[in-house]
Amino acid sequence: MTPSIANTGAERGAAPASRDDRRLALWTAMLRVGLLGIIVVLFIVFSITAQGFLSAQNIENNARQMAVVGILAIGETFVIITAGIDLSVGSLLGFGGILAAISLSNDLPISLTIAFVLAAGLAVGLLNGALIRYGALPPFIVTLGMLGILRGLTQILGNGQQVAFDVPRFVNFASDSFLRVPNLFWILLAAGIVCGIFLQFTRRGRYAYAVGSNVESARRAGVNVGATLLTVYAISGVLAALGGLLITARQGQGDPNAGTGYELDAIAAAVLGGASLFGARGTIAGTFLGVLLVQIMTNGLNLLNFDPQVARMLEGALIIAFVFADQHRKRLAAAA
Amino acid sequence: MSAAVSMQAAIEAKRISKRYGKVVALEDVDFEAYPGEIVAVIGDNGAGKSTLIKILSGAVIPDSGSMAIAGQSRSFSGPRDAQRVGIETVYQDLALAPDLDIAANLFLGREPVRKGFFGALDFFDSSAMRLQAEEHLRDFGIKVSKIEQTVDTLSGGQRQAIAVARSVLWGKSVVIMDEPTAALGVAQSSLVLDLMRRVRSKGIAVIFISHNLPHVFETADRIVVLRHGRRVGSLDPKTSTMDQAVSLMTGASVDTAPGGS
Repeated sequence: MTPSIANTGAERGAAPASRDDRRLALWTAMLRVGLLGIIVVLFIVFSITAQGFLSAQNIENNARQMAVVGILAIGETFVIITAGIDLSVGSLLGFGGILAAISLSNDLPISLTIAFVLAAGLAVGLLNGALIRYGALPPFIVTLGMLGILRGLTQILGNGQQVAFDVPRFVNFASDSFLRVPNLFWILLAAGIVCGIFLQFTRRGRYAYAVGSNVESARRAGVNVGATLLTVYAISGVLAALGGLLITARQGQGDPNAGTGYELDAIAAAVLGGASLFGARGTIAGTFLGVLLVQIMTNGLNLLNFDPQVARMLEGALIIAFVFADQHRKRLAAAA
Repeated sequence: MSAAVSMQAAIEAKRISKRYGKVVALEDVDFEAYPGEIVAVIGDNGAGKSTLIKILSGAVIPDSGSMAIAGQSRSFSGPRDAQRVGIETVYQDLALAPDLDIAANLFLGREPVRKGFFGALDFFDSSAMRLQAEEHLRDFGIKVSKIEQTVDTLSGGQRQAIAVARSVLWGKSVVIMDEPTAALGVAQSSLVLDLMRRVRSKGIAVIFISHNLPHVFETADRIVVLRHGRRVGSLDPKTSTMDQAVSLMTGASVDTAPGGS
């Protein structure tokens, strides 16, 4: 007997399979082209219809605005790939931002402020990861609790008010450009490239997908699940704190309400970019496109004098449409 | 080959006992498997089959008894210890990551890192993994259309084959399989049984549990029968019948001559 494990296709009827195969190929292609396609179409439409869409000023503004949410979304992508969720990133951004303002208003040097704020983000991320893994708690609950704790702490630290400081060098960084590209966008690019390489090409990055695919299988295969979860929540925490530094630099003061609701924008961007809340799917490049789509859509509709809420509604509808398309593709793939 | 006396056992367990509270799971059980033989462990529910293979694979620590791997006395404190001496286990749920591709699954947890600077940064060597995975699958006659396919696109038999292939990639001396054909249809079962024979031909000891007596008699070189936590016999499938196996399993008849051991 010569076995060929591959030829089990003969067990299924060939005719219906080929029709399903074609539909599957169509949906896969649509999803692959979909996000980039919508971005290109929107870009062309707004270039023609929206006055000032292509002005250097507007493009720079867009690049600055998407940097902060983009950085949060990168961290969120890591967490979502492990089938987790991090709801604390918006609050952590606010917390980091207030810490930075307080530190600078007390005349601490910029370098120390940065180190201190990033360390706080790392600590919160590690705490999230440890509670999830070693406390065996659902990520949703742990990070929802952390969302409340950090926002409350931020309000108390800021006394419910803006925290002013006078450090022009720190503030100027956010408004300056390098090679005509805003510094904030360079930071987003750098974070995206480093994180993307880590995720795709290192063992620890690969283990994020393994854990998201099947925790028990990963554990039995010798993957250190605890270390993997600590790593992804730590990355999310550090990036949220970085976002806090940037938003405080951009606004020139510490705002205790900064970042409210950003966790949802970050999750939305990751999901639009192809990340699955069930785990094991998602890329940094996809998330970047997700952030870019929301930014272009919001900006273009704004220039066309639409109510800003229209962009929010469209974003919500797109998320549902994308996830529906992805699920449909999955069902076709399972049937094929 | 059945129980070549001159050969050293790949794995040998002596007088193994295990209790869970008042329940005796195993009592004074001897077990051995030689390189290049397929040993089936059969028994009724609760006979102690699962406990025995969990002890052999390091997942359960026995209360008493001793183990030797290739003549060296060993005691395991976890599955990693067993893996380190070349014993791999294919679990019933296969323990594959469905969303990762075939090469990633074969190497999961043991990815080779790249040489030099990038290796120090934990970069894995994906081209080496892909090449080795392809060569390894070819070696065992496992055909897949693409090594980059994710495991969730494979059939049940293919998944079982990938899980077995992974165990053989790392299990240099013993491969333990828990009900390898339980979830499979007729055609896919025969593919997996054939794969087990090919593993045997590499000089690896294959140990498997099965409730499917035709599969056991078709594949095994030796059958070890457990009942109520004791080893009640060892059968040679060439000279004994399924009725004899059932009698030993259920204790219906005591006059069946245990052969082989």
